[in-house]
Amino acid sequence: MSVRRKGPKATAIRIITYVLLVVVAVVVVFPFAVAVTTSFKRNTDIFTYPPSLIPKKDSTIPAADVGLDGDPVPVFTFPARDDRPGRWALVDADASLAEFRPLDDLERVIVLDVKAGEKTGATVTIDGEEEDVFLVDDGGTQVEAYRSRLTSGGLFVSVDDPSTSVLDLVNFATPAREFGPRFANFTEVLAEKDPETNGKGVGRSLTNTVLVTILVVLGQIITSILGGYAFARVQFKGRSTIFLVYLGSVMIPFVVLIIPLFQLMLQVNWRDNLVALIIPFAFTAYGTFLMRQFFLGIPAEIEEAALLDGASRSTILWKVMVPLARPAIATLATFGFLYAWNSFFWPLVIINSGNPDNAVLSLTLSTLGGRSSTDTNLVFAGTVLAMTPPILVFLFAQRYFVENSASSGLK
Amino acid sequence: MGLRDRGPRTPRVAVDTGVQLVAAWHLVGVAAGIVSMLLASRSGDDALPAVIKLFVQVFSIAVTVAHLAAAYGTFRRMRRARTVSLVTNYLLFVVSGSALLHQLGAFTGIGKFGTGLNKAFLPFMVIVVGLLWVLVAGQLLAKKPLAAGPNGLRRAGWGLVALASVWFVIAADPSGMLSMIGDRITQPLTLGTLAVALCSGAATRFMWQRRVAVHFGTSASEEQTLSGLAFLSPNLIGFSFFFAGPLLFSLVVSFFEWKTTGTGRSFVGIDNYVRALSLDLSSSDVANAGNEVLKPGYQVLMHLDWFGQNWVLGARDVEFWISLRNITIFLVLAVPASVLPALVLSSILASRLPGMKVFRAIYFIPSVAGVIGVAIIWGQLFQSTVGWINYLILRAGEILPFVDPPAEGHPWLSSNSTALLSMVVVFAWMNFGFNTVLYLAGHQSIPKELYEAADIDGANVWQVFRRITVPQLRNTTFYVLITTSILALQLFDIVWILSTPEPGGPNNATTTPVLALYEEAFQGNDQGYASALAWVLFLIIFGFTFAQFRQQKDGATSGGVS
Repeated sequence: MSVRRKGPKATAIRIITYVLLVVVAVVVVFPFAVAVTTSFKRNTDIFTYPPSLIPKKDSTIPAADVGLDGDPVPVFTFPARDDRPGRWALVDADASLAEFRPLDDLERVIVLDVKAGEKTGATVTIDGEEEDVFLVDDGGTQVEAYRSRLTSGGLFVSVDDPSTSVLDLVNFATPAREFGPRFANFTEVLAEKDPETNGKGVGRSLTNTVLVTILVVLGQIITSILGGYAFARVQFKGRSTIFLVYLGSVMIPFVVLIIPLFQLMLQVNWRDNLVALIIPFAFTAYGTFLMRQFFLGIPAEIEEAALLDGASRSTILWKVMVPLARPAIATLATFGFLYAWNSFFWPLVIINSGNPDNAVLSLTLSTLGGRSSTDTNLVFAGTVLAMTPPILVFLFAQRYFVENSASSGLK
Repeated sequence: MGLRDRGPRTPRVAVDTGVQLVAAWHLVGVAAGIVSMLLASRSGDDALPAVIKLFVQVFSIAVTVAHLAAAYGTFRRMRRARTVSLVTNYLLFVVSGSALLHQLGAFTGIGKFGTGLNKAFLPFMVIVVGLLWVLVAGQLLAKKPLAAGPNGLRRAGWGLVALASVWFVIAADPSGMLSMIGDRITQPLTLGTLAVALCSGAATRFMWQRRVAVHFGTSASEEQTLSGLAFLSPNLIGFSFFFAGPLLFSLVVSFFEWKTTGTGRSFVGIDNYVRALSLDLSSSDVANAGNEVLKPGYQVLMHLDWFGQNWVLGARDVEFWISLRNITIFLVLAVPASVLPALVLSSILASRLPGMKVFRAIYFIPSVAGVIGVAIIWGQLFQSTVGWINYLILRAGEILPFVDPPAEGHPWLSSNSTALLSMVVVFAWMNFGFNTVLYLAGHQSIPKELYEAADIDGANVWQVFRRITVPQLRNTTFYVLITTSILALQLFDIVWILSTPEPGGPNNATTTPVLALYEEAFQGNDQGYASALAWVLFLIIFGFTFAQFRQQKDGATSGGVS
């Protein structure tokens, strides 16, 4: 569009244009951002409201900061208590406590040391039970209260002033949170499938996907180069007919082939084996066209010179044509990679015994992230692992890919 | 250039002796063909399924006839005999070679190879990095032919690959695989197959030679045909075996009642198609009549109220019809949602302002990221209590007066009314970037003079878009609409992951034809009927493809996209 004009109006249009582009880019990037940050979260962190993009962990401080030895101690805050500002370290989670309830407000709980409070000698009847009345300290004032129960709780030390400490029930305090990615998500999801270590077996699926993808891409490149060369350069009987059949084949959706291919795999006993994902997909009509188009564009003189030189056709193909066809091969490899890496429907049909040794990434992810999924953080770690290679391949091969996605159909 | 073909270094067999040997080999082939034909017809019905038996017989007859023709022609030194012999031997070589690999477990061994690869993934990655390094070094070499450095870099790369390969073999521990191959190769059947493969391979190689061609007086065009077919053969064999053959088989199966397992296979004619497509409309007095007002075997699809009269529409396969209804709704919503943004965005991206390539790349990413991952992410975004969608709507409601968020988070995926709509969102999000790139290609064919003229006339942005861009992109729009529709009609993966509580749920609100097909074929075990569904779906898709084909034909004459 013509946005090259000068002047305030053109500038305004330009700004609006960029704002629109950025908004769309945010819509595209945001779900990926959610995926990446979720893959570093703890599972409990994912199901808190409001949703957040920051993976967090419970804060701790070194024990030495509050004058102790040993492991780092967890940090809490008391957001509802104005008299306890700042951060508090939980130095003892098992302190002996007593809960008192003031007689004038039985709903309120005062948590104090188990030895706190002095018996007044009086008694009071609560729910039919006779209880002693204590005089206890309630934030500086003495109130009459009864001891509703003995329990264990936390001894908190102020981080800012380690000489101050309070006793309270741990669940009355809020754990302080800080930025803390959990890298173990990735090691766990990759580890061998094992309920005890929480391993999800994605590593094996990743290997299988890599293997399948490499072999499919290699197979497609070889068969497409050979077929494309035959269609482009060799005048043989029946060429145009076969080519027409190839052209027509692109119109057939894969759904029609699912059932007969499944039957074929049963006959040759390839069901539930990686080979079923490789050999049937090593042949591509699309790749053959791509190579044919490219070979057609190479000047015939180059080939004729080599032919006169006494070279055989296969020598010409591999030594002359293929080096020239590198961009087309790169395009084909990119398409093949993305197709093989992301394919799901056929693996779902043919790798169906639930044996994790034969599963590919998309399949494992769909079971892992399916309806009965529990470890969402691990699912997202797996998702990120599965998405990174195709996105990287796309970004690196963009030049070949974007141009040819466009030309593939519009010829 | 030194491209002279070196040819085989093997000791050369005299042409006459060689041709006689090949002829004798063909006679062996005739004998073997007759024997296998007899064996196939003798064996009882339980030994071989009828289809396989028929296949073996036809195959044996073909082999026998081909060998006979080749033997006779070779003896008589007929011109065509070389071609016949070559084709026969080559195909025999491919079949026996594949059979040999099958018997050795090479195909199913790929799965086991995966185990080895899993153990040796680290050295494997080193090999990959090494190869990439060599490739990059090669690129450097190509750009700077005089620089001395890259050659050494390249050698270092190969050295790395060699070292890592040794490491890989040690880590992967292939001893088990090797001993398995050793065990199998000593079996008589395997040895026989090996012999056939070797003989047919040797015969092919011998007959292929130029001097043999001279001997038979092969014409140049015949020579061309042979080499053309030879180049095409890996592709063509794979294509026939994994595409054309299965396609025909699928059509055949659709006329059968065909169970995956068991012997329940009988010809039923067009019954499968009738069952899929049967509808029954009947009027009823009550508003919500049940199945009893319909013909037997039909179930209620929907209730209609036309001019005060209650009608009941029933179908034999209700789920399939529901899936057709769903996919129609999906198509109507998802296709514009993934095409219209692409039209607008491509018009901006085509303007060559700075940064456009970055945006183009960003928009493209969802279409390459993999549908399973994408669906999993959106499943979390749509989550009703802690999902981002509901949270953002809530926050928007605080700022914008016209957004009225519900008090409770809306259950996008488990509500009948929004489940399919959610799939539309995911589909559009995934595909608009790809469509944008398709449109960008269309933009390249718009003459720049049009925009310059509009500029001089003082047309505003909207006028330019409406009067130049959109009409000029007419053909591209058609193409994009059709390809997106074809994609949308085959919706499966997104639904498989996102629908809840079971695939196609809630209450069949997201059932699609491909899902219905999958369930019939692989969960209901009714592959004949599922094949019929596949062909019905194919015909619908073909309608779109055909429309596109027609348009391209018309567009070619009226200056359409080139």
